[in-house]
Amino acid sequence: MRAAVFSPLRPVGQTGSDNTLGTDDLKVFDDPEDWVAFSRSVDAPASDVLWESQVVVRGMHCAACSLTLEQALLGVKGVLAAHVSAASGRASITWSSTLTRPSLWLAAPLTLGYQLLPASDAFDVNDSRQQARLVLWRWLVAGFCMMQVMMYAAPAYFSQPGDISPDIERLLRWASWVLCLPVLIFSSQPFFTSALRDLRRRAISMDLPVALGIAVTFAVSTAATFEPMGWWGREVYFDSLSMFVFFLLTGRFLEQRLRSRTAGSLGALMQRLQTSVERQTADGHFERVPTRRLRVGDVMRVMPGETFAADGTIVVGDTLADEALLTGESRPVPRGLGASVMAGSYNLENAVQVRVDQVGADTRYAQVVALMQRAAVEKPRLAVMADKVAKPFLVFVLLAAALTVAFWWRTDPSHALMAAVAVLVVTCPCALSLATPTALLTSAGLFARYGVLVRHLQAIESLADVDTIIFDKTGTLTDASMGLRHLQTREGITDAMALQLASGLALHSLHPASRALVTAAALACGGVSASWGLRINDVRAIAGQGLEGQLSGVGMVGVSGTLRLGSARFCQIEDFSSDAMQVWLADDLGWIARFELDETVRQDAEKAVASLQEKGFELHVLSGDREATARHVAHRLGINALNVHGDCTPQTKLALMQTLQQQGSKVLMVGDGLNDGPVLAAANASVAVGLAVPLAQAQSDFVMPGAQLLMLPEMLAHARRSMRVVRQNLWWAAVYNAICVPLALAGWLPAWLAGLGMAFSSLLVVANAARLSHLKGGA
Amino acid sequence: MDILFLLVPLSVLLALAVMGLLAWAVWSGQFEDMEREGERILQEGEEKRL
Repeated sequence: MRAAVFSPLRPVGQTGSDNTLGTDDLKVFDDPEDWVAFSRSVDAPASDVLWESQVVVRGMHCAACSLTLEQALLGVKGVLAAHVSAASGRASITWSSTLTRPSLWLAAPLTLGYQLLPASDAFDVNDSRQQARLVLWRWLVAGFCMMQVMMYAAPAYFSQPGDISPDIERLLRWASWVLCLPVLIFSSQPFFTSALRDLRRRAISMDLPVALGIAVTFAVSTAATFEPMGWWGREVYFDSLSMFVFFLLTGRFLEQRLRSRTAGSLGALMQRLQTSVERQTADGHFERVPTRRLRVGDVMRVMPGETFAADGTIVVGDTLADEALLTGESRPVPRGLGASVMAGSYNLENAVQVRVDQVGADTRYAQVVALMQRAAVEKPRLAVMADKVAKPFLVFVLLAAALTVAFWWRTDPSHALMAAVAVLVVTCPCALSLATPTALLTSAGLFARYGVLVRHLQAIESLADVDTIIFDKTGTLTDASMGLRHLQTREGITDAMALQLASGLALHSLHPASRALVTAAALACGGVSASWGLRINDVRAIAGQGLEGQLSGVGMVGVSGTLRLGSARFCQIEDFSSDAMQVWLADDLGWIARFELDETVRQDAEKAVASLQEKGFELHVLSGDREATARHVAHRLGINALNVHGDCTPQTKLALMQTLQQQGSKVLMVGDGLNDGPVLAAANASVAVGLAVPLAQAQSDFVMPGAQLLMLPEMLAHARRSMRVVRQNLWWAAVYNAICVPLALAGWLPAWLAGLGMAFSSLLVVANAARLSHLKGGA
Repeated sequence: MDILFLLVPLSVLLALAVMGLLAWAVWSGQFEDMEREGERILQEGEEKRL
């Protein structure tokens, strides 16, 4: 995780007491119905006395902390065992429900500065831990047996014929056989189960040749051990067998770890919601309830350091929120009264009260998680192709192995079998099938860390081909909000005064123009200050026209009567026309000021455009806005005026883009998804920026909720790099097979070397893909 | 060389015993947290338990 992820540290100066759960709050977990969410019964099923709970630990910095914490937990009466893992930040606690309650032991470490939170995904984690142990154990068994079997095999390699007496040779073979049994029965089990499962479904999988190879090798060697006089010859291959099983398992083991590291960034996202929240009761108090009991319309209090458990609107207080993982915005964003906050983002500064608007699966957070999960399981086009190739390839491998046996059989049956085994083992469609998905998945994980969500892995492929980029203007290159460009005042009125007066009125409206004036006033004079003695009464909003109010109080020279803020007609002024949008301020004497507003160009748009142009992309701007406005924005950003089209309807946008496509351009459409959905869908690749439409409805390949345009050049470069890696991987897989298969067919490749080759080829593919987990040059 | 008839079976037994140890180590999570056990010795308060 890099800069894009803001760590949820407590702000300095916060005492622990107000942002950790108090002892009383923890009582919500004392209901058996609630504790089963993170605990399970570990004694006889009938009694339900002993429970094992999984919790997440906060505030742990080092390995030593875990010991302190364990001791604190064991000090609680009724806690029988506590295991704290510093590495994963989790603890498992065994306790007796007759002697203690979760609230008691959850509270115990609070005084030491640790916070325990029930882990809702506890048993997923537990399962995956069991799985990881099983994989490790299989690998260790194979490795250890391999070493020992090599010991027994070594004398046969180094001695002259006749050096070893036949009975000692038999003894060594016996010993090898015994130690190969665990390898066969235990370590190779995944190959057999998966091969059988696919056979039963009448499919061929990559494990089938491997399983066949293992079975044949073991059968031949066993026969040679017990009946050395048979047609199968008297050679044994226990060392080869254990070795190639070990190499294959090593490959899978490392591959799994590399892959789970990618998946880990998804996991970090899932484990973000609070398990309990403070909800306001009917009489105005706050009580702590489990998150799943939260309903739309509830008011919850969120302490600094906590995550928001649901999407909502702030009703009391204001704060800073860290939305890094959801929008990619690495700086904390201010969230004031009336602002909406997202589930899964961190509250950083003050306690706020939030009215819940959306819970559970409806939250944007849940959508993000679902989106990422779906993208992760979807197979990209190239991978589907590779899988298609893999199937006939496997049939070919099996046939080739059969032919090898048939060919060598007459000269040497034993050699024939082993050559066939080498053919089975060395051919590796794994590398072929892994080549694309690993690379694209790694890239998708990286994009997610920078706040860009990938809806289809395949889109990375299309993104790599892009040479032309079309920007929508409003909401993409410009912010949805407006800014003050120009200000003109009548004689005797200063800019600051005009802004003060205007913002006094504008405060009462949420119109973007009003907000722009309030912001401008705040910047110019530090907000509406009382020092002017300014008071505006009876403010009324006249729909579609403007605001008016009565000025009273003292101190404002040269202004009197009814103040009006709005269009020229509303302020009874002859319009002197201008391209820009303008707002007038007037009193009884006539106009006071003219404010010229325009859309603010996104801060990073200029840099992003410059960087894209430097890289040789052709940039276009399509806008539904007036041509002049579009040109003005394009000019500021340095985009060629010939490529700017104003007054576009969604249809003309689509037509213009299709013209470009017919000219052979590969088009990336960047829009806010609000009125350019069809264009986004028809483009070769598309990015929806901002939060204008619900994620699930965005018709784009990528969603960039934070609208960090600077990511665009990085994304394009990275997509190209990803495809380079995919091509390298596919080439490598093809070349490897082209070299090794003939060698094996000729019988020149021993089985152990074949196993090594196969493990190595898959590993190389995965490791090559792992290079994609960082942006080039960092960012 | 007759001693081999004793030593080879013994080595098989030894290998199985070592595997038993490995099994215990894996399934009790010895490989999941590499740092903590090393630091236990530096921990104060641990002596009080003795």
